Amino acid sequence: MEKCQHYGQCVYEAPNVFKLNESDKLEYTATADDSELANVRAATDVCPMQAITIVD
Amino acid sequence: MIVGAAMGGLRTAESLRRFGFTGGITLVGAESHLPYNRPPLSKDFLAKGKSLADIAFPIRHEELQAEFILGDPARSLDIDGSTLGLESGAKHNFDYLVAATGLRPKRFSFPNDLSQGRHVLRTYDDARSLRGVVAPERRVVIFGAGFIGLELAATLRTLGCTINIVAIEEIPLAGTLGDTFGREIRRRHEREGVNFHLGLSIEDLIGTKRVEGVVLSDGTELHCDILIEAVGSIPNVDWLTGNGLDLSNGVLTDQTLRVMNELGTSSDRVFAVGDIARFPYVAQSLPARRIEHWNIPIESAKWVGRQICHQDEPGSIPDLQTGERFNPLPSFWSDQFSISILSYGEPKLSNESPLVEGEISDEFIMSYRRDGELVGIAGIGMRRELNKLRGEIRL
Repeated sequence: MEKCQHYGQCVYEAPNVFKLNESDKLEYTATADDSELANVRAATDVCPMQAITIVD
Repeated sequence: MIVGAAMGGLRTAESLRRFGFTGGITLVGAESHLPYNRPPLSKDFLAKGKSLADIAFPIRHEELQAEFILGDPARSLDIDGSTLGLESGAKHNFDYLVAATGLRPKRFSFPNDLSQGRHVLRTYDDARSLRGVVAPERRVVIFGAGFIGLELAATLRTLGCTINIVAIEEIPLAGTLGDTFGREIRRRHEREGVNFHLGLSIEDLIGTKRVEGVVLSDGTELHCDILIEAVGSIPNVDWLTGNGLDLSNGVLTDQTLRVMNELGTSSDRVFAVGDIARFPYVAQSLPARRIEHWNIPIESAKWVGRQICHQDEPGSIPDLQTGERFNPLPSFWSDQFSISILSYGEPKLSNESPLVEGEISDEFIMSYRRDGELVGIAGIGMRRELNKLRGEIRL
């Protein structure tokens, strides 16, 4: 998370995995369900800081 | 055949495989590097000594099964003959071709047209060359007050350089985000010690062997060690000439990103992705436009990959008959000092821009309306509120 600048682009692509909390900081579920893979991949692509890594 | 091996080209190849394309994929690139992320070049790459490996996109080669031909730019295309010619003289045939050749920086020529000491920023090689000369106390003149110019000003100021920005516009970013937003950006830069010379151009350079200064259009002389030209970009579409395409500003496409000839007929085998694609609006009756934002290559690549994969299935082509049209939401961000701008849509289309929330001198959100309809939003901070509004934009 050190690269994350809390832009929230990922929230739009994968709202079940990423969210911005009350103080505008990003929170996420580290172990997302396989059904979320396509959304998380989309979130990975649009992250301005390229801060998201998918680990199998 | 994907022409352009930067982010747009890579994302197109990934999209093709994701939608089930089983044919061969070749990416041709002018640069000698595998695809990397450009935005850090003006920021962390300069400031924090990042390497190419730090900014390279991860590539799953075993899934992608693509060949990369690097350092060999495309020079000619014959669509009817299905042949692409490269600078090395190599010829390649194709069934489908995706044009994703991006932009190059606009360069000026001056009466005293020195080349040493002058820089631009677009590629890794540009950034490395700039990093090699940057040091505290260096005097830097930046020509241009757009996003690249302002980001460089912030990064180099933080590294201890003296910064003079020269720009033709009266207010930085006014054309993109409006006067109020632009004036606030200027104020925050000035607070950090950046000097602006606005409403002015650079008329000539001072120096004998290398740039030692610039002469402005009002006669002012600014001495400098480094001159950076950040005055916009030119689409790399020269290699597409000779096919009857409309190349007046990038390459004109239809609403599904197929390139169009001057008679308005779409090709069924040649597509455009990223900065060079000039595509029509869906909800606005305005002329087709190019969008130079980072998310456009991603969105257009995804679209084109899917379209090529569905091309041979009758009735499934996402085209005007089925009503599906490429209609991405442009989005951009910019980090300058502690200023972190985020925007969606096309604020420049607006004819009014009321403040939605916050204080201009602190965190705020502005909305941009055209004849009452929301066409863009932009803000500093207040991310959660800003992201909630993005779904309401109509373009």
